[in-house]
Amino acid sequence: MFKKVVGLVVMFSLCLFTLAFAKSTIKIGLMCPQTGNWASEGLEMKRIVTLLAEQINNKGGVLGKKIEIIDEDDGGDPRTAALAANKLVTRGIVAVIGTYGSSVTEATQNIFNENKIIQIANGSTAIRLTEKGYKYFFRTAPRDDQQGKVAAKAIKKFGFKKVAILHDNTTYSKGLAEETKHNLEQMGGFEIVFFDALTPGERDYTTVLTKLKAAKPDVVFFSGYYPEAGILLKQKKEMGWDVPFIGGDATNNPDLVKIAGVEAAKGFYFLSPPVPQDLDTPEAKAFLKAYKEKYNELPGSVWAVLSGDALLAIVKAIEGTKSTDPDKMANFLHYKLKDMPGLTGKISFDEKGDRVGDLYRVYMVDENGNFVIQP
Amino acid sequence: MEFFFQQLTNGLAIGGIYALVALGYTMVYGVLKLINFAHGDLFTLGAYLGFTLLTTFTFQEKIGPLPTIFIFGIIIMGLVGIAGIVLERVAYRPLRSADRLAAVVSALGASIVISNSIMLIYGARFQVYPHDLLPQITLSIFGMKVPFLRIAILFLSIVLMVILYLFIQKTKIGTAIRATAIDHGAARLMGIDVNKIISIVFFIGPALGGAAGFMVGLYYGELNFMMGWVYGLKAFIAAVIGGIGNIPGAMLGGLLLGVIESLGAAYISTAWKDAIAFFVLIIILIVRPTGILGERVADKI
Repeated sequence: MFKKVVGLVVMFSLCLFTLAFAKSTIKIGLMCPQTGNWASEGLEMKRIVTLLAEQINNKGGVLGKKIEIIDEDDGGDPRTAALAANKLVTRGIVAVIGTYGSSVTEATQNIFNENKIIQIANGSTAIRLTEKGYKYFFRTAPRDDQQGKVAAKAIKKFGFKKVAILHDNTTYSKGLAEETKHNLEQMGGFEIVFFDALTPGERDYTTVLTKLKAAKPDVVFFSGYYPEAGILLKQKKEMGWDVPFIGGDATNNPDLVKIAGVEAAKGFYFLSPPVPQDLDTPEAKAFLKAYKEKYNELPGSVWAVLSGDALLAIVKAIEGTKSTDPDKMANFLHYKLKDMPGLTGKISFDEKGDRVGDLYRVYMVDENGNFVIQP
Repeated sequence: MEFFFQQLTNGLAIGGIYALVALGYTMVYGVLKLINFAHGDLFTLGAYLGFTLLTTFTFQEKIGPLPTIFIFGIIIMGLVGIAGIVLERVAYRPLRSADRLAAVVSALGASIVISNSIMLIYGARFQVYPHDLLPQITLSIFGMKVPFLRIAILFLSIVLMVILYLFIQKTKIGTAIRATAIDHGAARLMGIDVNKIISIVFFIGPALGGAAGFMVGLYYGELNFMMGWVYGLKAFIAAVIGGIGNIPGAMLGGLLLGVIESLGAAYISTAWKDAIAFFVLIIILIVRPTGILGERVADKI
């Protein structure tokens, strides 16, 4: 009898304890590709968000409570992401950061929106995502209509006339390819000699490259992701073909040089928001220093840094509305958050949830495999 | 015309790899009537083992790259072959008398275990083989630029397949394998140790798959733990097209799939490449359901 009472008391106090413990943190979800083709992006996203959360918690947290980051792996795949999103929704999060890859984000938008959870995507630039009227969806990444314009301008500036456009059929890639084509056609004076897609996830693209070569372009614009871009560059060199390639912002990742090899990657151009080593706000510099101290290297991907900005925006919204109510936070983010100093510059969102501002630059890979910004 | 031949060579090179992997499927099916879904992951294992060997032992400076690759190739074939035997003992032998479906589920389970183990050991990011191991010579044949390595891979694949074919047709063990493929019971009555034969098959098939993995790693350079999935699927289909259980059939099926894929992509659309290739293969199967070189299994009376 005595044992039973003790047992009950222990259980009861444990329950109270965990309940009290649970109440005292603010849970923010992080959905990122920890496995799959884009695992290097997911790894950096997780590192950056956890480091930032630690820094914020060390300064006292938000509204007196500590932030708890709950992360789930979306595998870089829409189906896995939908499962991850469903899991996160049951964990009591007030907002979620993620993810990289527009098609992956798209699979989860509905789930989060229906459950009234603020979602801020960091690596999804497809235009469609903010055209659906989802009130709780935002992004710290720029948008592909902006990118398409910059791409067309860059092609014009380089003086290329015959353009081949290659994409990989994903939401983001096809959208960007079409935007660029549209812009080139509007500007006039260009001939689009090739517009087709490759199958992502494969290893051998010599067939596509041979076909591209036969179309005799002056330049090839590839709007797909960095794994395929790396293989394309490597195999193009093996074929002995040296037409310049320009990549979209998803080709921006240090693994590109790793896969292609420094020799093949040399001279490759791509568009991107400023890469981490070119970020020049004081907040960015301080954060990068702290990151380097903890992990012994600088982050390679600006998309991961944008996930840090997403966390900052969420925290600002909680502080600004003194609550974690989704409608109040959404309202704040849409209308009251103006020019918040973030890691990648000033952050504001418009009524659709897009990031305001003009971020894209042209980069080139030099002979040491470094990304060098072009004027 | 040059375009056609260029794409044809591309297709043959891709097909050579499919053919090597298909051999593993076809041998195992012939003897056990089981599709070894874990075969694609044994291929991945071969590629990763090659990566480990190349990055830990660096005696290519002493001997030179080619002999090193040759030695490592043999080692990898041996290791993956042993992995194949272990796989058979653990996942398939206990289920030999059970329903066919149980073995299939076991195979799928084994596939998941192997690919995830690789991910846990090596990490989820891409790994890349050391560059500049092999000479990057480009030959010029009839005005086409063909990397020497592609021809080397195709040549090696054909050599391995011919050796295998001769082994199966001309040696005593080969005859025992063919006997076991026809009927286990009758083979036992002839004095053949069926378990030993099955183990031998599970050594050779995965060894070839591992060799293919090593070659893919060397040539394409990039590895990830899911790479076996696509190759495995296509090789399986190639084996079926050529007639499952038939070794020259697997080779033919692999080469054919590679060529159809390349030419379909080249002349119709690269985006629809897989759809076109499989559509053609469906047609082939409708016309010849047992596969191109498939044999009709004699009915028991």
